[in-house]
Amino acid sequence: MYDVRELTKTYHVGKVRIRALDGISITIPRGDMVAIMGRSGSGKSTLLRQLGLLDRPTSGQAFLELKEVTRLPEAERARLRLSCIGYVFQEYALLAELTAHQNVYLPGMMIGGPTDYKEQGAELLRLVGLGDRIHHYPKELSGGEQQRVAIARALINSPKLLLADEPCANLDTISSRTVMETLVRLNKEMKVTTVFVSHDPSDRQYAKAVIVLSDGKIAEKG
Amino acid sequence: MISKAAKSVRVAIFLAGTSVRRANLGVVLLTVMILALAGLNLLFVPGLLEGLVKNANDQVKNTYAGDIVIESATENSQIPDVQTLTNRIKAIGGVSAVTTRNTLGAEVSFENERTNVVVSGIAPDGEKAVFTIDKHMIEGTFLEASDVDKVVLGVQVAGADKPNIELYSRSLKRVHAGDTVTVSYANGVKKLYTVKGIFWTEFIQTDAQALISEKEFETVNPQVAGTAASVRIKTASDAAVGGVAGQIRQLQSGLRVLTWEDYAGIVRSMTDSFHVINTILNVVNVLVAGITVFIVTYIDVTNRRRQIGIQRAIGITRSSIMVSYLLRAVFYAIVGAVFAGMAFVYIVMPVEARYPFHFPFGEVYLQTGLPTISRAAVILLGAALVASFVPAWMALRTKILDAIWG
Repeated sequence: MYDVRELTKTYHVGKVRIRALDGISITIPRGDMVAIMGRSGSGKSTLLRQLGLLDRPTSGQAFLELKEVTRLPEAERARLRLSCIGYVFQEYALLAELTAHQNVYLPGMMIGGPTDYKEQGAELLRLVGLGDRIHHYPKELSGGEQQRVAIARALINSPKLLLADEPCANLDTISSRTVMETLVRLNKEMKVTTVFVSHDPSDRQYAKAVIVLSDGKIAEKG
Repeated sequence: MISKAAKSVRVAIFLAGTSVRRANLGVVLLTVMILALAGLNLLFVPGLLEGLVKNANDQVKNTYAGDIVIESATENSQIPDVQTLTNRIKAIGGVSAVTTRNTLGAEVSFENERTNVVVSGIAPDGEKAVFTIDKHMIEGTFLEASDVDKVVLGVQVAGADKPNIELYSRSLKRVHAGDTVTVSYANGVKKLYTVKGIFWTEFIQTDAQALISEKEFETVNPQVAGTAASVRIKTASDAAVGGVAGQIRQLQSGLRVLTWEDYAGIVRSMTDSFHVINTILNVVNVLVAGITVFIVTYIDVTNRRRQIGIQRAIGITRSSIMVSYLLRAVFYAIVGAVFAGMAFVYIVMPVEARYPFHFPFGEVYLQTGLPTISRAAVILLGAALVASFVPAWMALRTKILDAIWG
């Protein structure tokens, strides 16, 4: 599904050179549920952003469905983000001017038919347990509800890969469990390959495979 | 099936629509108001200058020159056998009326005041058909063909106890209809005239004239009988002045045929200058409108940088986001232009018509029409498009991660 080889990412903060990813090589099989874990600053989110094609690596290669994606032009990467990858941000990242329903079906408008994306959006909101909140704006929803809207949005175009960056970082315990159980259920029901980032060791229970990062390197794989 | 481009436009329209619907009402009103003011500016200056030009042109044609002026091009300043010439001119299609004039320099005096004028001998009936001076009488009445020993004076000659007129200090100051003035002609003839009337066209060159009947003029200067210093022609409203002038030139040699624009060169130079000023002010107005929209959009885009980053991260294309910003700008510009047009037509123009600007050639009324309003709307639209494109383009060049997390 996703094959990453010797991926490095270096940032420059002033004159200081920071190696956020240092020769990462991983393979994510189709349908897997992978947790990327590690302490703050270990490179978890940086790696997920590379997988989500939100940033380009300094060196290395990444093959999504056997296609090398690191050097693709921006328009092609945008097309892949739209059709192949669903991304859930740590802080929900919903568009404040749109209702929950509109937030979900917006990416669907880019590739859907005349109206089917609306029905699909409503169905996804029902699937994440928000069927009765579809006309609410983000500010009218709790953190856990917003995150579930973000998950529904990430799934609107039936992606092959769902990436979630610390989806429970800003949530209480009950909301966190609801969100993680939603991810697990979707992984099973929709067979969507899921990679999530977490710093909470208890989240290991939701993953079939775990990658632990430390200082931009893989410290543990299993 | 919907094409990729159509889907992209569909998303752009959706984003622009929700953004306008959910926008802060105060910000929307402020943006529209700023654009409406820029639009008003685009209408007001051309409206005023067009009003000035139209007024000046109308005054020249209706009170000073007529549409076409014919003078002698030979050493003899008089046009011979003018009756035959006028009959031939009247037969030309597009000619509405013809009249003749003779002129003689003179000094006019009243009590202790004296002033120099050009006295024109006119055919009152023809004069009324070509000019509108007879409709601007402020005292007494206009001349009749049979009038002798009577003169009609422009207000700048008579003064008429109007110290606010431009040439009052050089006028006879207190002359009114019914008074008697002394006219000493350049050919040595000196006569007393009863002032039959005083006209005030508000065009200084016209109002500085004195008029007597053709019959009276021939008693002062008998040599000019059957001739004229000039022939003045009024063309039909749908006739091309240049075309009629061309046909007159074919009638006989020895004539200088001038259109009103050629004759009153000062007005042409003035209107040319107004056009240049108008163009300069329009450019400035476009820049002001463009910079205004740029600032409004720039602030808006800066505030929405994170939203733009999120939109890009979830796969919305740059072109969709860009088009959504352009559509918003088009919407605001159209609303602004509509407000500006309505405010100009229904508020500014009626108020100005009630309290018109006063210029040396009369009261000036703001002019506008669909072409002017359309042009202002197009300029506003263009400025809004360019001004919104630049900040949106700058925001879209930012890396997604920088846009979302700074």
